[in-house]
Amino acid sequence: MRILRMASQALQAMNDNKVRSFLMMLGVIIGVATLTIISSSVMGARSQVMSRVERFGLDQFMVMAGAGRKPGVPQPTPTTLKVEDTNAILSEVSNVKDVTPQINRRDIPVKYQNKNSYAVMVATNPNWSEIWNTQAENGRFFNDTEVSRLSRVAVIGQTLVNDLFEGEDPVGKQISVANNPFEILGVLEKKGASPTGLDLDSRIIIPLTTGMKRVFNQDYITNIKIVVNDTSRMNDTVNDVKMLLRERHNLAPGVEDDFTIVTPTLVMALASKVSSTFNIFLILISLVSLVVGAVVIANIMFISVNERRAEIGIRRAVGATKKDILSQFLIESVTVSALGGITGGILGLVALKLLSTFTKMQSGAILIPIILAVICAVIVGLLAGIQPARKAANLDPIEALK
Amino acid sequence: MINVQNLSKVFNKDGAEVRVLNDISVIIEEGEFVSIMAPSGMGKSTFLNILGCLDKPSDGIYMLDDVPVQGMDDDELSQIRNRKIGYVFQSFHLLPRMTAWENVILPLIYSDDDSDMKEKAIKALESVGLGDRINHLPRELSGGQQQRVAIARALINNPRIIFADEPTGNLDSNSSAEVMNIFRNLHAQGRTLVVVTHDPDVGALADRIIEMKDGHISSDRPTNIGPKESVQ
Ligand SMILES: Nc1ncnc2c1ncn2[C@@H]1O[C@H](COP(=O)(O)OP(=O)(O)O)[C@@H](O)[C@H]1O
Ligand SMILES: [Mg+2]
Repeated sequence: MRILRMASQALQAMNDNKVRSFLMMLGVIIGVATLTIISSSVMGARSQVMSRVERFGLDQFMVMAGAGRKPGVPQPTPTTLKVEDTNAILSEVSNVKDVTPQINRRDIPVKYQNKNSYAVMVATNPNWSEIWNTQAENGRFFNDTEVSRLSRVAVIGQTLVNDLFEGEDPVGKQISVANNPFEILGVLEKKGASPTGLDLDSRIIIPLTTGMKRVFNQDYITNIKIVVNDTSRMNDTVNDVKMLLRERHNLAPGVEDDFTIVTPTLVMALASKVSSTFNIFLILISLVSLVVGAVVIANIMFISVNERRAEIGIRRAVGATKKDILSQFLIESVTVSALGGITGGILGLVALKLLSTFTKMQSGAILIPIILAVICAVIVGLLAGIQPARKAANLDPIEALK
Repeated sequence: MINVQNLSKVFNKDGAEVRVLNDISVIIEEGEFVSIMAPSGMGKSTFLNILGCLDKPSDGIYMLDDVPVQGMDDDELSQIRNRKIGYVFQSFHLLPRMTAWENVILPLIYSDDDSDMKEKAIKALESVGLGDRINHLPRELSGGQQQRVAIARALINNPRIIFADEPTGNLDSNSSAEVMNIFRNLHAQGRTLVVVTHDPDVGALADRIIEMKDGHISSDRPTNIGPKESVQ
């Protein structure tokens, strides 16, 4: 095929002038590398958001004590959300399948023999384990009997195990929690860090009753997680809960809620907002470098067309059509650009790996950015090459040979 | 084969019209060996470029094999340059980064018959006595050898006409003799040759000499008759 012969001539010209080809590639390499980093990050971030939402539970929402947090404004601990609210929600709102209340408290000192650590204490009911999808993997979770007896029993996370027990089996051991003796019933499965950076493995889970009466001496709680039966009625249920709580808290119309409701949709929106500003910045950078790449290619191609006038004249004299010359130069710019695109794509992925932002990258997050990169590069090569190639094709053979 | 009627070529130089070729009419038959002679600047190259389909006349008719060249588009003209015509230049015009055989196959790249390109190139190079130089770059060859590579390139598509514009202009007398010898052989094979030259010795090898002056043909005669005896 004629076009393949033009391609082989173009490749030979590229190979004969490696420095020129490399300079032409440079801008595209940089542009595509940034583009790859962005698109992989975006895709990685998106799948992270999705898995975070799934972990939160698509059939669940949460009521948190206190009005929405305002940045920089210190708030007193809200005290209006009560255990009784939990029971009311379960019995009075339709479509509610299950509820679990909890009290959270940070920086609780824990002690075993001569070892110390600090824990996030969670006081809750036995169904917490199922609703928050966190099992005890060694030993067991506490049960209803222990709740009704206000037992001093606890399930602890793996960070605490590491801090307090060096290889010793913690199950059945006595530890001191905020100066109360607790028996360890089990160890929680590993969960890593929360979206807000909290170490979920530094938690210690105790019965809600024990927490309220024996440790904190309080009747208010931090939040309630609610599971619905029918996900499609989520919005109505959220509204019903809201109305019920306003009524129970005696909030007059127009008064702000003294609680905050977090739904899966809200979690999704919050999670994707974090990365979007950064992404716009990176997209701008890569667009600029792709444009610069195109300008570099176009300029070097123009110089190259001028330097290769004699070559063009000779080819025309022995039978090259204008189209042949056009294809040769276009193929050259597209190939150079595509090679730059592949190089940039690989560099971008290597950079991502080095930054190890997304260690668990799915194959889609590798292949799609590379394909995207090469498509971008080919478009850049075409746009940058068309004018120089036309100039080459339209050279007057006699002028070119002078 | 070549039929030129009332052909003119006008250039625009700094706003002024320069009439380089003025009302030229000539017929060259298949198999002829013609040399075109004139002092430099008289329009020899301009004329040959038009005959070689590299340039177009401003006026007049050029029929090649009874087909008017004027009406042809770029693709058709390119195809004629590729198949019908072999062109040899004074300064060889080889691609400097390509070896002898890679230079020679160039016309095959632009033709539809691209089978056994290297084999054909080797044969063409052997026919001009360069069978042992196929992998040499132009700069590794003497001027005479470079011109022979250029001739091999002009011959690779087996064209019926060879145009040569001062093919010996850059060569010493030995190399010139070699090149002219090749031309005589091509003529003996029945090809049509039109050679532009300065050199009366080179011109004398042709069967017919056309002299140009002030844009038109001043003399057109067979070689064995001297200029003074020519009848206008
Ligand atoms: N593209 C052009 N524009 C203007 N003048 C030209 C051009 N090409 C050739 N000429 C003029 O035409 C004349 C003939 O040139 P040329 O055909 O090269 O002569 P020769 O080959 O006989 O030396 C010269 O005076 C030259 O300056
Ligand atoms: Mg000349």
